[in-house]
Formats: sequence, structure tokens, C-alpha cells
Amino acid sequence: MNHEAALRIQAWVDGELPSPADREVAAWVERDPDAAALATELRHARSALREGEPEYSAPVSREFYWSAIERRIASPRTPQPQAPAAPPFAWLARWFVPAGILAALALVLMLPALRDQFAPPVKRASEEVESPLDDISSVTFRSESEGITVVWVNAR
Amino acid sequence: MSGRPSKPRQKRIEYPSAADEDLVRAAQGGDMVAFEELVGRHRDKVYARAFSMMRNEDEAIDLSQEAWVKGWQRLQQFQGEASFVTWMTRVVINLCLDALRKQKRLRTESIEHMDSESGGVERQMPPLIINPTEGLERQEVRQRIDQAMSQLSYAHRTVLILHEFEGLEYKEIAKRMECSIGTIMSRLFYARRRLAALLMDLKQERPT
Repeated sequence: MNHEAALRIQAWVDGELPSPADREVAAWVERDPDAAALATELRHARSALREGEPEYSAPVSREFYWSAIERRIASPRTPQPQAPAAPPFAWLARWFVPAGILAALALVLMLPALRDQFAPPVKRASEEVESPLDDISSVTFRSESEGITVVWVNAR
Repeated sequence: MSGRPSKPRQKRIEYPSAADEDLVRAAQGGDMVAFEELVGRHRDKVYARAFSMMRNEDEAIDLSQEAWVKGWQRLQQFQGEASFVTWMTRVVINLCLDALRKQKRLRTESIEHMDSESGGVERQMPPLIINPTEGLERQEVRQRIDQAMSQLSYAHRTVLILHEFEGLEYKEIAKRMECSIGTIMSRLFYARRRLAALLMDLKQERPT
């Protein structure tokens, strides 16, 4: 058995193989005694480790152990705890993103009026405008004949 | 009835009986006594991981204490995705890996290096189908595992610790040890076969 084949058996024992390869190795281990023996040995080593993890205790008293930690925490050279740093301009994003969304919506709503103001009058039965925003999509329906504007806002 | 507005009453913590989550929350708010209680509860576990990797008491004490200092500094980053002790264990593992890298102890040297990448002597050995720890008391299994682990190189011991004790996948171990998945698989294979052989030697020396 070559090294790559042995590693495949190990990966199978560890559940690291994807489904088709997993079935292939299972069938191989089933019919090949050498492969089965290697899988058994690897399983024994794994279960011995998992069941028999050695336990160690700190060989100093709780007070002594803590006192060194406390000293290091209090040391002026030790950086003091800080809240996770927010990305730069996060505060700006917090206020400007909603404001931007509202402005875009307002623009969408005003588009027909602006167009009527600056474009030559064209009689249209209806029109749809889609918002390019990722988080909020909106579709505007305007009926000139009915004189109404309907806006669908879809927040994802 | 008094006319004075009542202050919101702050929940008082009974430190010895409080749950870890409550102590962590208090420590995140700056309560050093709560943090001390956490250290007292979990110091052995954190020390044990450091010792299992470094195999040296002084280094293990120093690195585990350093881990607690880092834990205090980064406590705000702990969001409770894993248990607090698991989080602290990962902190100490990273410190140990850094220390081993600095001391270049994670390199598998010369012949052992070539052996470990190719499967080595252990590759040629017939598989041991007898369970080398069968019938042993748990305490005896622990002693033998400890003895066998102490005879492995740092690189091989570390990969066993991360895979078997910490339950990390190949990919995660490769990331932490800064090497390829193929290298991790080879090291793990070598380490397991070597460990099996060492346990079998101990079984023959000290039969149950």
C-alpha cells in the first residue's frame, strides 16, 4: 500500500472524505484485509487518545498563579482592554446609509414630476422605475390618465 | 412610601456559584473579581493545554498566565459562540504555537522530517490490530498516553493535540500550523503510527 492510499484510509477514518470517495474507501476497506488492519490501528490510536487525554494541574497555588496575572494586567506596559475597534467612518455609515436610502426613494418618487418639468410633455399611460439599491428595491407605477403614483417598496 | 425615585438595583453576583456566562458578563464590564473567579475555575485546563504542547512546567505556567492576560484584554471580543473555557483554550494554543515557531521547535528535523513526510519507518510496519490500551483502567491509559506523547516531536505531538483533543479538522490545523493539509495528514499519520507502536511497547513491558 502506498503512502497516498494510507492517507486516504486515515482521512476516511477521520470522516474527512467527501461522499463519493468516502463510499469508495469504505468498500476498499471491506474487501482488503491490509486496508482494514490499518484502519483498525488508526481507530485504536484515535480512541486511546480521546479517552485517555492526560490531565495536568498547575503546580502552583491559585493565589500565586493569579497574583502574576494580576501584576501583568496592572503593568503600565500591558495594553488595557478595549472594545473591538469599529471600522473607520462607521458612524458616518450608520447615519448616511439610511439617509441615502431615503434620498434615493424620494428621488424615485419625484422622478415623474421632474421629468414633466424638464422634458417635453409626452402622454404616457404608465411607467415603472426600479431602484438600484441592494438592500431595498422599489418599483414605481405612474398612471398619467388616472393621475396616480403607486410605489412598491421591498426591504430584503 | 418615600418620594425619592428608586435606583435600579444592580444584580449582585455570588462569585463562587455564578455561571461562567454571568462571570464573563461581569468581567466584560470591568469586574476583576469575576475574572479572578474564572481564572480559578479554569486555570488547570488552560495550564494543561499549555503543558501538553510545551512539555515544560515553567513555560506552561508562563504561557498560560499570558493567555489569561490576553483573555482579559480581548474579553470584549468574546461573543459566546463557544464556551468561555474553549475560547481560552484556543488563546493559549495560539500562544504556544507562536512560542514553538519562535523557537523553531515545530520543524521536524533531518531524518525524522523525511520520515514523517513519507510515512517513515512506521509506514513499513505491519498494522497493529491489537488494541494497545484494551483492558486498562482510565488512569493507566492516561499515564501511558502521557509517556508516549512525551516521546513524540513537537510537530507530531501538536498535530495530535489539535486533532484528537481539540477536535479540529485538517483544514483548521493546517491554518493554525501554517502548513499544507498534505503535511498535516502525513504528520498525523506518522504520529498515530508511532504512538500506536509506543503504546504497544508499553503493553509488552507492563502487561495488564
